[in-house]
Amino acid sequence: MANAMTPGVLGAFVHVDAATDAIRALRANGHTDLTVYNAAPNHEIEEALEHKVSPVRMFTLVGGLTGCAAGFAMTIWMSLDWPLLVGGKPFDSVPPYTVLAFELTILFGALFTVAGMMILSFLKPTTKLMYDEKFTDDQIGIFVPCAPGAAGGVEEVMKRAGSVEVRHAS
Amino acid sequence: MTAIATDNRPTQTHAEVTRDVVATLGTQSRGYTLMLFGAVALFLVGALTFVLLLKDGLGLAGYKSPVMWSVYITTFVFWVGIGHAGTLISAILFLFRSPWRTAVYRATEAMTVFAVMTAGLFPIIHIGRQWVFYWLLPYPNQRFLWPNFKSPLLWDVFAIGTYLTVSTTFLVVGLVPDIAAVRDKVTGWRKKVYTLCSLGWTGSDNQWRHYTRGYLYLAALATPLVLSVHSVVSWDFAMSIVPGWHGTIFAPYFVAGAIYSGVGMVFTLLIPLRKVLHLEHMITEYHFDNLAKLTLLTGSILFYAYAMEYFVAWYSGVAAEQTTFYLRAFGPMWWAGWTMIICNAFVSQLFWFKKIRTNIAALFVISIFINIGMWFERYVIIVSSLGNDHLPFAWGQLDPTWADWGILAGSFGWFLMYFLLFARTFPIVAIQEIKEMIPMPRKRAGGHH
Amino acid sequence: MSKETNEEQRPGIDRRQFLTVAGVAGVGTAALSGCSTDRIEKLVPYMVGDEDHVPGVATWYASTCTECPAGCSLHVKTREARAIKLEGNPDSPINGGSLCARGQAGLQGLYNPGRLLGPKRRDADGSYRDITWEEAIAELAAQVGSAGSDVHVLSGAGAGSFTDLLTEWVGALGGSLVRYQPFDNEALRAANQQVFGRGDVPDFAFGKAGFILSFGTDFLETWQGQVENQRGFAESHGYHDGHMAKHVYLGHRMDLTGMNADEWHPTHPGSDAVVALAMANVILSERERAPADAGTLRSVLAAFTPEQASQESGLAPEAIRRIAREFASHKSLAVAGGIGSQHRGAVEACAAVNILNYVSGNVGDTVVFRGGRPAADGYGALESLASELDAGRVAVLIVHDANPVHTVPAATGFADKMAKAGFTVSTASVMDDTASQADLVLPNLHALERWDDLRPAAGVQALMQPVMMPVRDGRATGDVLLEVARTVGGPLSGLDAPSFEAYLKQRWSNIAAARGRTDFRVFWQEALGNGGLFDEAAPGADVRLADGARRIGFQRPTFDGDGEFVFAPYPSSMLYDGRGANKPWLLENPDPVTKITWQSWVELHPDTAASLDVREGEVVRLESPHGSLEAPVYVYQGVHPGVVATPLGLGHTAYGQYAEGRGVNALDLVSGEDGAGFLPYLSARVTLHKTRRYQKLAKTEGNPRQLGRGIAEAMPFAAAVQGQTPAEVHGGHHEVNTEREVEAIAGWGEAQRERLDKGDYQGEHPNWGMVVDLARCTGCSACVTACYAENNIPFVGEQEVVRGREMSWMRIERYFEGGEDGEGFSTRVVPMMCQHCDNAPCEPVCPVFAAYHTPDGLNAQVYNRCVGTRYCGNNCPYKVRYYNWLAYPKLNFEEPLPLQLNPDVTVRARGVMEKCTFCIQRIRGAQHQAAMEDRPLQDGEVTTACAQACPSGAIIFGDQHDPGSRVAQAAEDHRGYHILEDLNVRPSVTYLAKVQHGGEH
Repeated sequence: MANAMTPGVLGAFVHVDAATDAIRALRANGHTDLTVYNAAPNHEIEEALEHKVSPVRMFTLVGGLTGCAAGFAMTIWMSLDWPLLVGGKPFDSVPPYTVLAFELTILFGALFTVAGMMILSFLKPTTKLMYDEKFTDDQIGIFVPCAPGAAGGVEEVMKRAGSVEVRHAS
Repeated sequence: MTAIATDNRPTQTHAEVTRDVVATLGTQSRGYTLMLFGAVALFLVGALTFVLLLKDGLGLAGYKSPVMWSVYITTFVFWVGIGHAGTLISAILFLFRSPWRTAVYRATEAMTVFAVMTAGLFPIIHIGRQWVFYWLLPYPNQRFLWPNFKSPLLWDVFAIGTYLTVSTTFLVVGLVPDIAAVRDKVTGWRKKVYTLCSLGWTGSDNQWRHYTRGYLYLAALATPLVLSVHSVVSWDFAMSIVPGWHGTIFAPYFVAGAIYSGVGMVFTLLIPLRKVLHLEHMITEYHFDNLAKLTLLTGSILFYAYAMEYFVAWYSGVAAEQTTFYLRAFGPMWWAGWTMIICNAFVSQLFWFKKIRTNIAALFVISIFINIGMWFERYVIIVSSLGNDHLPFAWGQLDPTWADWGILAGSFGWFLMYFLLFARTFPIVAIQEIKEMIPMPRKRAGGHH
Repeated sequence: MSKETNEEQRPGIDRRQFLTVAGVAGVGTAALSGCSTDRIEKLVPYMVGDEDHVPGVATWYASTCTECPAGCSLHVKTREARAIKLEGNPDSPINGGSLCARGQAGLQGLYNPGRLLGPKRRDADGSYRDITWEEAIAELAAQVGSAGSDVHVLSGAGAGSFTDLLTEWVGALGGSLVRYQPFDNEALRAANQQVFGRGDVPDFAFGKAGFILSFGTDFLETWQGQVENQRGFAESHGYHDGHMAKHVYLGHRMDLTGMNADEWHPTHPGSDAVVALAMANVILSERERAPADAGTLRSVLAAFTPEQASQESGLAPEAIRRIAREFASHKSLAVAGGIGSQHRGAVEACAAVNILNYVSGNVGDTVVFRGGRPAADGYGALESLASELDAGRVAVLIVHDANPVHTVPAATGFADKMAKAGFTVSTASVMDDTASQADLVLPNLHALERWDDLRPAAGVQALMQPVMMPVRDGRATGDVLLEVARTVGGPLSGLDAPSFEAYLKQRWSNIAAARGRTDFRVFWQEALGNGGLFDEAAPGADVRLADGARRIGFQRPTFDGDGEFVFAPYPSSMLYDGRGANKPWLLENPDPVTKITWQSWVELHPDTAASLDVREGEVVRLESPHGSLEAPVYVYQGVHPGVVATPLGLGHTAYGQYAEGRGVNALDLVSGEDGAGFLPYLSARVTLHKTRRYQKLAKTEGNPRQLGRGIAEAMPFAAAVQGQTPAEVHGGHHEVNTEREVEAIAGWGEAQRERLDKGDYQGEHPNWGMVVDLARCTGCSACVTACYAENNIPFVGEQEVVRGREMSWMRIERYFEGGEDGEGFSTRVVPMMCQHCDNAPCEPVCPVFAAYHTPDGLNAQVYNRCVGTRYCGNNCPYKVRYYNWLAYPKLNFEEPLPLQLNPDVTVRARGVMEKCTFCIQRIRGAQHQAAMEDRPLQDGEVTTACAQACPSGAIIFGDQHDPGSRVAQAAEDHRGYHILEDLNVRPSVTYLAKVQHGGEH
């Protein structure tokens, strides 16, 4: 985490309510693009950040529908492309094909979902942000990107909220 | 968090959780090494058998007309079934927000993936010309010969393929945050590896935001698979006109059986594992008690299904059906028939007693019975039904050979090998979900809001 | 052996010339042309054009079968100058177009891996070394030259030019010729001599009889000409528009013939004479219609009452009376003299049956003496030869086409006596039990590789011709004899024919001359093309009773030893006298009664087995005064409780890899002495000892009971006459679907069909179907071997059959009926092959379309596409899909067996499902032919191998869409039904229910 890092302030918190206080205060001060690190998802933090519902579900929906369509299209087209009579059944007998359509619905749905998660996450990369390994263990981190000038104010807010450690990146 | 009954809330702090789980990684304990060694040995037995099958043909196994499916398909269905408990616990119980799954779901999910991986080998092993197994896939070949989508076997290909993909994805996605946690604890080359595997996870609010949603939908998608995959497998039989196979009850009956056998396998795996990895305080009797209740439920469904099969056979008035079921109980394979009924229908009833549900030793013994019973259920359904179908003159009784048992042993080796390697490499207990259950310390006293 | 040496040994013969002579228009010296293995590879190089061999097109030659003395005529199918299939010659009055399993398996004699590569000489140490033909013939000539008149020849060859040459040859030397065939009807001929004053074997008109009574005589298996009898039997006993002969079988064992009887009565062994006489007595005392001179028998017959007969036979007096009356009230036929019931009183028995036939006026009607049936010299002659040998009065012994060491009981010590001969020569082409004792072995050519003719029956002169180059370096014995004659000269100088072919033609030119045919070449080509001359049989002689007829009588035949069971060896319908034991097609074709393959067994009645506490598969030791044997038990309801039965034919000490050391020789328990000029097979008592060892029987039968599933339907004659359907006959047949459901299913089916008008399926197509008439099918299993031959089906061997892995695309299912708690015991047979269902359950389950339905209604299996999931096999309710578990063709088709393979049919690989195709190669062949001639395919132009072979004509094949076709009409028969109809798989094979007499008298 040496050079080319985004300038800003990183505060570490042990207490969850301390962290939420800090978040609210900072957001009140106009620092809306905070990055909050936590080892596990936490409702209080989410509430404090007032996130909207993730759009990942759209990927799931599209994926599912694609799979279903692909399932029916493939089976029906293929059995008409090479028409062979088996067991006196029609070439394109839909009932058995629903099974395949179903399986493809699930498959595509799942793959699209994962793709969605990754795309959306990488849209806001955290690689250039200051980070500390304690955040995957037992501490909550809040990083506020800001010009060196404003850093003091941010640190002040964090301290007041009860952060156990504050570091600056520049 | 109100869902958690206070008596079984994890007592450790976040830091302790991380520490204990990371401690399980790269274990060198003798118990573990022995198990791994045994697994690899078994796997080699199976591999050798398979080479011989490729060389000389399936005739090495006990196959005999009209019993053209036997031990291999039995074992295939057995392993597919095992998988289902994992998905049930990790996906369905996740949707139900049932808290007791947390400690065990990672292990069962891994079990699912490796069980399905094992099952996936059998369609290849059991076909006569293993080297052209890919003809079952709808790939654009030179002459545009497509597979027959009316065949239940093709449904299988898709069902198993989908199941393997989705459950693997589900497992990996769940792992990422934990790998990150491990990454931040270890050092040296291992840190490099875990860094790579953690896909740049930092636990930022944005990541969590999409992650939690995505995970929810993955669980929602995995849920129907629990019901569909084994239904499809059961249709391999139910769609035929073999007496003893041709039954509408098969789908639910197989799904229940699958979960029953899966939970049995969970016991068999976790009871030794938690000892070797010192996780007794994380995977507790409370979890086993709930798993046992699940076993009791599915076992009772099996009990009903067995009874129903006999009733339908009698009520249908179809001579062939009646003969088949009569012979299951009193024919040359009576011993297998009764093994299945006793181990599944009756043994599961022991779980009415909390004393047994919470007695680890008893659970382990019973779980072995469940595994045996469920393997024999498939063996009986497949072999005894085929052995005596419509034309009495063509009847025949199977007698399996070393080649059958070799592959069976190999499949256990293959499965355990992967499972054990997984257990020492990745967190077998879900760090982040445990933490999610543990309220974080607060500066102000009392619950929030 | 290089080509050069070949040329120099056989001057003037090269391949091209050979191919010419091999043809119907043959001239040249084919029989002289040997061939060494290294020339086999180049049988027909494609650059050599030849009018007889168009690559890819079959050439057919007419010839004659030598697998038994019956003399059936053959059509030999050759492809690229290799014989690949034997079928019956339709012109022959003996076998028509059909052929039994043994006859068809002749090919595996031709291509037998055990065939000798060339002549062999035994050294002092008893080992054999290869020698050249020149050395061999020089050796033989030297021996013969020095032996003077002490040359004795033992020959099993039938009446024909070769035998005539042999007779001249031996005669010229002043030696003796003994013609010996194991099943030679000695007793019957003796009885005919006694009763009618003539010692020949009559023709039995089974086809004309309305009531057939067999005294333990297996006329559908080995007695006389099986195919000829079976054709007649099917004609009279096969139900057709209200008529069907009744067949009653009296004997200690229900063999295949007994299985086809309307009534089977287990009688005590050796009691047949008294029963026949009692019946004759009843008839004569009750009826007038009898030849005048029969009256003179009244006094003699009066002594034989049904009551006495009942005591001897265990058959109820009223039964005897009833059968006698039925016998007399029909145009009837009684037969006796079967090998299986040849006890010491066999002559009396045959005489008694002669009387029975005579008093019922059958002689001259259904029993016709034409004097056309040749016979050998009988067992008596062999016995005297044996004593000659024993006395050391034989300098040179030549054994031709006979294997006495195996077919004569060891108790006679024939082998040791043979060893006393100065010099023993065998002409066996395989090292059999006898040849392996000879000093010199001169392998004869196979019947399909040499010239000869046979006179098997009145009016029949059947020709044999080389249809292909010899597979091994054999030489026709006829040519050997002539060459020896040339070398020895002296007394033999009279035999100056340059070759046996020339000798044969010389004789036929006489025939031509006798018929006023001047153009011999044309006459010869016609004869050769037709397979010989088939003239109207001469009218039967007028036969009257001889004085001996009054000397008829009965005393209980004696049985050696004091064992508790009578030992009943019987000839196997597959192995005949044992000559079939080196042919896998016959070893693996299940015995029609027990369904056991590759093994010997001991048949025990269930009660006997229970009282002895032995189970199926337990190995028991049988001991008689003459020897002992050990074989596994098969518990069989159809054998008399006081009898244990074992088939003949196995237990060879040598006879190629398939036969050697396999099973036991039942003759080991039998004595050879009897003094009456025949071998009493049924003459020993045995004690049975348990060994508590078990052997898995290699049988193809799963469960012998139908469990009320209506698989093999049968109906009483009365019901058949009333035109009832099988469903009507046993009301137990439950309808699973209601009217509306049936309509719904049908309607649904039609709706599906309409959606299938696409791709190759557009427009009109034939719909191939089959009808199997169970009233005609006897279960002889000729169709099974035909299927093996036509479709390159690999045999799998004993161990794999035990594993239930036989590949036979066609099987004869044999079901037992009744037999429990006093109920009459009977059997039914069903030929089971792919039913080519319209709604085939096997097709939709195949993931790769390897199993699919062709537009012309065939259930096709694409071997190249099959990946071997075997789901189709599981889902086939008829279990007619067979899986190649272990690359059987590669493992089992040893050189030169692959030369027999049909080039039109794939040899299936390992790991692939295979099944009956309705002989699709024949269908397509006929369609292409018709297309080339620009005409529609006619009904009957194409038939399957099984239908073609069937001696009973029980199988009809054709296009069901053609309302005029035989199959379409036969399928309409009221006896028609589909097996497992409830499954709605719409099979294309319709079975016509069996019809059984009984009840009505």
